[in-house]
Amino acid sequence: RFGKSFKFIFSTLMQRTVASSPLAPSVKVKLIHFGFHTAADLLDVQPLQLCKEAGISQDEAVEVLQTLRGDAQSDQQEAASESVTALDLLHQEQIHSGVVTFCSELDAVLGGGVPVGKTTEICGAPGVGKTQLCIQLAVDVQIPLCFGGLGGKAVYIDTEGSFVVQRVVDMAEAAVEHCTLLAEDEEQRKALEEFTKEKILSGIFLIRCHGYVELLAEAYLLPDFLAKHPEVRLVVIDSIAFPFRHDFDDLSQRTRLLNGLAQKLILLATQHSAAIVLTNQMTTKVSDGQSKLIPALGESWGHAATQRLILHWDGVKSPEGECLILCL
Amino acid sequence: MVLLREGLCPGLSEDMVKALQGECIRTVEDLVSSDAEELAQKCSVSYKALVALKRVLLAQHTAFPISGADLYEELLSSTSILSTGIPSVDKLLDSGLYSGEITELAGGPGTGKTQMCFSVAVNTAHELKQNVLYIDTSGGVCAGRLLQMLQAKTSSTAEQMKALQRIRVFRVFDVFTLLCCLQNLRSNDLQKGSVGGGSVKAVIVDSVSAVISCVLGGKQTEGMSLMMQVAFELKMIAKDFNIAVLVTNHVTRDGNGKLKSGLGQSWSHVPRTRILLQRVEQPGAASSLRTATLTKSSRQSCNLMEEFNLSLQSEEEVKSGCSGKRKFNTDS
Repeated sequence: RFGKSFKFIFSTLMQRTVASSPLAPSVKVKLIHFGFHTAADLLDVQPLQLCKEAGISQDEAVEVLQTLRGDAQSDQQEAASESVTALDLLHQEQIHSGVVTFCSELDAVLGGGVPVGKTTEICGAPGVGKTQLCIQLAVDVQIPLCFGGLGGKAVYIDTEGSFVVQRVVDMAEAAVEHCTLLAEDEEQRKALEEFTKEKILSGIFLIRCHGYVELLAEAYLLPDFLAKHPEVRLVVIDSIAFPFRHDFDDLSQRTRLLNGLAQKLILLATQHSAAIVLTNQMTTKVSDGQSKLIPALGESWGHAATQRLILHWDGVKSPEGECLILCL
Repeated sequence: MVLLREGLCPGLSEDMVKALQGECIRTVEDLVSSDAEELAQKCSVSYKALVALKRVLLAQHTAFPISGADLYEELLSSTSILSTGIPSVDKLLDSGLYSGEITELAGGPGTGKTQMCFSVAVNTAHELKQNVLYIDTSGGVCAGRLLQMLQAKTSSTAEQMKALQRIRVFRVFDVFTLLCCLQNLRSNDLQKGSVGGGSVKAVIVDSVSAVISCVLGGKQTEGMSLMMQVAFELKMIAKDFNIAVLVTNHVTRDGNGKLKSGLGQSWSHVPRTRILLQRVEQPGAASSLRTATLTKSSRQSCNLMEEFNLSLQSEEEVKSGCSGKRKFNTDS
């Protein structure tokens, strides 16, 4: 059996071309120039030999051989060959429920809460309740499994400075109270002993980012963080628009950075079975003499999130005003 | 450009390879384009041996011409047309997705690209009973929705499950992993037909722009090369294994504010057929109405437009009940 799997990995790797592998462009150009096009060409080559023949440094030669020969079976190669049938995916989806929002209409529209393993974007005008919803989700993800929650922790990345601890305390107290009223049997009562206001507050990891560079750096560090804390089931970025809307001269660079960030986030969501929530601001679009509010960050950002919620007021703007929710 | 190695062809011994490398002849191309007489003198290798070697290498690495009649015969016998499951879109595509070609669906957010991909997958898996490979790059694949669409086609649970098993989902989120995945498919899985034990008739990539747009442009030099490598892999998969490839793309606005497909001019030559999806913005229209416009086709005249309704793809959502302990209900 070892022989069979070895042969499979072998034949898979031999087809890998140098041009399509994640190496530095300068190294790839040198390799191709000296005739190394596929992994098969590098089969019997030693690092020192490669160094001399292709004119690259020793470290680069070692890296090339490791990447192309799969001396260390990398995550990327595993991810590329892994696949699931739609049936397995259905079973996975049925096991992982979403993060409830405590608003039954919103949960119904979302199909059971904010979905796990996907990115959800919440857009709305200032004051409509995006941050409140995010804080609520950070509390709700911690509801124990026996009450129908996820029993996990939350990472809250705050870029605007709108995270107010007192509000979290209020929501935590309300959640504990709600669960206390619902508790029916021994298991739920036992879980309630663990589910306290202090526990909820300590279950939210708060990260404050100033500017887009810190946000991007944090996105790079998140996979390691989630690997160390596998109980994290929700990541909130509030908001993703703020650092990218100020003083950004090169709009095409902004689009590229945002697209790259979106891909990293969806990879994170899928690998760690976490729900990722992003908040976005609104901007005005003028067309045909009419103006309307559309989500900020541009047209291509619209494709980034898996689900998009736009919140706006229906009628008079008041503290108890109705909210009309449009789901894209 | 193949590296000269011992044993590549009869007559190419290790000594020969070393002698040639001494004269900077490393690849087949270098050898074939060099002057045999001159090389024989410099390397002190027999002229006859070199000429024989050249002939053998040329024969091994040449592409052979095929007559048009043979190609036509092959086309008639092997082309298959996959219906998308939406009759008005089939009309635009001249009855459906053609195997051996890449078809592109472009549209803004929420216009129904992923829903159409689901429709193609469900139709191919259930009606045609063929396998489908679904490469998801943006996390949009939802097995619950696939099941919903299947439930509208058949009420037999066994058939629904069998159809779901024929759809294989790959989740890749960056361009290198995508290239690795496509190369693996091309070299191993598709050849052996090992994907679910049946033949694959459709490969869907949703979406190709999500992984490529972040490497294009700016100071990055590799973006175009990677995009073209993806195009190459998809075309080879379509042609070699007679598969219909469907890709989705985002849209941008040009200088006049008109919608156009993303990824630029170079990508626009890659798909054979392109469709642009848009929402219907009339005041009285249902929110699920969409229009599909044919923007590039080699079979029909362009700018043909058809309207269709996304919600006709499934029946009412089956509400699941809650039992057991009191939990947070979603239907209250």
